[in-house]
Parts: sequence; structure tokens; C-alpha cells
Amino acid sequence: MHERLSFHIKRDSVIHKLNPLTKLTLILALILISFTSPWYWTPHVVLLLAVIPLSGLGRVFPEFFKAATRLILPAAGFLFLMQAFFQPIGEEVIFKFYFLDITQESLMFAFRNAMRVFVMISAFTLFLLTTHPSELMSDLTRRGLPGQFAYVIISTLQILPQMQAKAQTIIAAQRSRGLDTESTFLKRAGSVLPLVGPLVFGSLVEVEERAIAIEARGFTSKNSKTSLHEIPDPSFEKTIRWALLMLVILSIAANLWLS
Amino acid sequence: MAFVNLQNVTYQYPLTKTPALQNVNLQVNEGEFVAIVGPNGAGKSTLCYTLAGFAPHFFKGEMSGTVEVAGKESSKSTLDEWVLNVGLAFQNPFNQISGAKYTVFEEIAFGLENIGVPREEMKSRVEDAMALTGIRDLAERSPYSLSGGQQQRVALTSILVMRPKLLVLDEPTSQMDPIGTREVFGTIRKMAEEGMTVVLVEHKVEWIAEFADRVIALKDGSVLLEGKPNEVLTSELLAEHGFGLSRYTSTAREAKKRGIWKKKICL
Ligand SMILES: Nc1ncnc2c1ncn2[C@@H]1O[C@H](COP(=O)(O)OP(=O)(O)OP(=O)(O)O)[C@@H](O)[C@H]1O
Ligand SMILES: [Mg+2]
Repeated sequence: MHERLSFHIKRDSVIHKLNPLTKLTLILALILISFTSPWYWTPHVVLLLAVIPLSGLGRVFPEFFKAATRLILPAAGFLFLMQAFFQPIGEEVIFKFYFLDITQESLMFAFRNAMRVFVMISAFTLFLLTTHPSELMSDLTRRGLPGQFAYVIISTLQILPQMQAKAQTIIAAQRSRGLDTESTFLKRAGSVLPLVGPLVFGSLVEVEERAIAIEARGFTSKNSKTSLHEIPDPSFEKTIRWALLMLVILSIAANLWLS
Repeated sequence: MAFVNLQNVTYQYPLTKTPALQNVNLQVNEGEFVAIVGPNGAGKSTLCYTLAGFAPHFFKGEMSGTVEVAGKESSKSTLDEWVLNVGLAFQNPFNQISGAKYTVFEEIAFGLENIGVPREEMKSRVEDAMALTGIRDLAERSPYSLSGGQQQRVALTSILVMRPKLLVLDEPTSQMDPIGTREVFGTIRKMAEEGMTVVLVEHKVEWIAEFADRVIALKDGSVLLEGKPNEVLTSELLAEHGFGLSRYTSTAREAKKRGIWKKKICL
């Protein structure tokens, strides 16, 4: 079993020390600005001058880089190709590929959108890498988010890597049962099918037991909750949050103004 | 007036045809350590859920009769109030990990956070509970990185830290080795001596004989027999009804049958 079953990496950094809500506001602001700013190069600049330096400041650059190249780049790359080929905008064809035409406009359009998605996923990755899930939960519930809601978010974050491990186990089991990777997709799908039932039923029982377990520990108690760790929220962070909010509003306003 | 008092309790899960508990009457005194035995499907877990309020509050279904703990009645209470008095730990430790915490220490504190215990008190209660179950050295580990037996200790500690008046345990040591089991039973025994009431389901009857005050044998949702451990566990009735016996009992019985052993069977 893995020692680390959450994305969070415990390090001592300025970013780690920020209040979870400030961090959440920061990444949401970066994403919203990338999506709404009328200036073409905004997402590119946000990525180069904000997200990447922040990952360095948070001392998680190696992990961030790994996620970016293995996960985010392929996703954004795929989006780029799809949009570059299938977006019917622009007149001047600069590149032909069988029946597909690529225009300068579609290329630019695709590049910006891929960049926006890149910013979105990478900002979230940065957030997950530097934020302790239970601190996030405590902080959000303290601010009035319903406990059940916070729990769903947090436990999903924790359980995702766990499911990944489970999937790998199943694939290994498949291989040892002689899964034929050479055969057709249909045949392979057929050999996975018998596993789906127990997996789904198993996880239903799991969900029920987990619900009982947390309820037995007062999860739905109406008492006001306390938290083990003190989560500081100095006043300058409130200022930062307001400033970020203003930037987002400005970006949206500029977008509306120019369109 | 008994601390735990079940009167004619019949309970049926939703969408099932037969009740999982039928006409169960059960009294447990404060500070008593009662063990429940029975074959698979006898209703042991259901009885635990009933005591802990999950049947019917969580599972819904049909319940008749009354369930009283510490003078309060389950049907007149809500689940979140009920769990303050009654703690429940069950067999599969993996599913008892909240999934919201990073270290064992935080995991154990989770319940105290939920019920609003102040931070300093929370820390000392977690320390005390971990010392009690011998898992101090696991404090900074991830709950997911532990062995099954260690996870069971964490699950038990997470409930003990809440200081319930009634502790309900459904096979809490199933993944522990004999040394670990002995330690944990010792801890539970000690809690009972300090006034905590304990109801525990256990398959390994040797442990019951050694630690429990009283045994209740359940079969098809009803109480078949109850009494002192060595009397109940060696009863012919249990053998007839297909209960698992301790290896000592079966050996002794075989010896008696062949005329090797003439005296009474103690376990
Ligand atoms: N969630 C449920 N929904 C419907 N029926 C259930 C549920 N849980 C248990 N039952 C049924 O209730 C009966 C008693 O089950 P219970 O789990 O209480 O037995 P048990 O004595 O704990 O058995 P085991 O030794 O296998 O743990 C069984 O017939 C079972 O099928
Ligand atoms: Mg059971």
C-alpha cells in the first residue's frame, strides 16, 4: 500500500502556509482571468509568470512538472489538435491534411483554448499539491460550507489516488489471468466485464460502511465543530483575496466592454 | 434498571422478507462486558447496529419493541445524539478510515472535531487514547499505510477517544495476531472495569472465555442461550445448533466421547 494517498506534499513553503481559501481564490482568479481577459496572450502569460513561478515558490516544481508533462500536456495537446482541425473559422488556409484545412485563425483559436485548459488543470494541480485536504475541509466548514459537502470534496480528493492503485491491481490481476493484449478491443472488454459487478457492488458496501463509520464519530453532530490544527488567516490575506476578486471583475468587465 | 435494555426487539431490513432480529430481550448492566456469539447470519452485526442506533435510524426498515441505553430510548432520539453515548467499531478497518485525514493522529481527532471538543483538550484526549491502545508510535503515519491489525487499533482508538458510555464492537480484532488480540482484549477489559459498558461480537471463543463477564448466543435473530462464558460456550445446545466451538471444547468433547476424559468440560 502506498504511504502517500493524497496529492498533497508536505513541505515548508510560503504557498503551503497560505490560508486554504486564499489559495483557492488565487487559483480560481488565475483561471477566470485566463478565460475572460480579452487580451489574446493572457493564459500564456498567466502560465509562465504566475502558475510556474508559484510552483517553484511552493517548492513542488518537480512534482508539478511531472504532472504537467504526463497528464496536462497530453490533454491540452489533444484539445489543441481537435480544435485546430475542426474549427471552421478563417479563410486563408495555411496547411492542408487530406480533407482537413487549417487556417491561421483556427490555429490561434486552438492555441489559446489549449492554453486556457492548461492553466486550469495546472493551477488546480498546484492547489492540490500544496494544500492539506483536512485543513481545506476544516477551513471551509468553519466558514459555513455544509460539512457533508466539504466531506464529499475532500474524501474524493483522497480516494482518487486510492482508486488508481485499485485499478492497477485489477489490471495486474487481469494480466496474471492471461489477458490477451493482442486481441481485439471487444474481446478485451469482455474479459473485464466480470470484474465490474463485484467492483461496483463492493464499492457500494464500502460507501455504506464508510458512512456508518463517520456518522458513528459524530459527523452529523449539530455541535459547532472545532479543528485540531489552527488555520491562520491574517488580515493581509483578506486584502489579497479582495484584490484578486477585483482583478477578476475587471477582466470580465473588459471582456464585456470589448465584445 | 439495566444500563442497556432491549425489550421485545424485532427488526427487519428494508426489502427483506424475514426479520434479522426477532423478539430479542437483552439487559446489560453498567460496566459489564458482554460477548455475542452466533453463526454467520445470526444477526450479530444487526444487533450491534441496533444498539448503536443505525438500525433503524440509518438503515430504515421496520423496528418494534424498545431499545434503551442510559435511560434514553432510541426511537425517541436522533442518530447524532445517540452516537454521543454509544460508540461503534466494526470489522473492516479500511472502511472505517474517514478518508479525510492525513495522519493517524488527525484521524483519531476527527470525531472530536465533529463534536466540537476544544483544541487543547482534543490533543490530550487523542494522546491518552493512543497510549491506551498502544499506537503512539503510529501517530504520524498515514492511516492507509498501516496493516489491517494496526488499522483495527486505529478504528478502536477513534471510538474510544469519544468516551462513549456503551462501547459496541463487531469483531474488532479479526485481523490481529494473538498477541495483538490479547492486548486489545486487555484494554477493553480495563475500560469495562473503569465503568464503560461493552458489547462485543467475537468468533474466537477462547478470548471470550477469558475476558467476558457474560455470553449471549444468537441464532436466527433470537437469543438461544445466555449466561457465564464457560457454561454457554460448552453447552450441548450450541453444538447442536452449529455454533463454532473453541478447539479446546471440541477436543475435550471428543475425549469424553472416547472415554479418555471423565470430568466436566470447562471450555
Ligand atoms: N444491510 C442489510 N440489508 C438487508 N439485509 C441485511 C443487511 N445486513 C444484514 N442483512 C441480513 O440480516 C441477517 C443477519 O445478518 P447479520 O449481518 O446481522 O449477521 P451476523 O451474525 O453479523 O453474520 P456474520 O457472522 O456473517 O457477520 C442476514 O440474513 C443478512 O442477510
Ligand atoms: Mg456480522
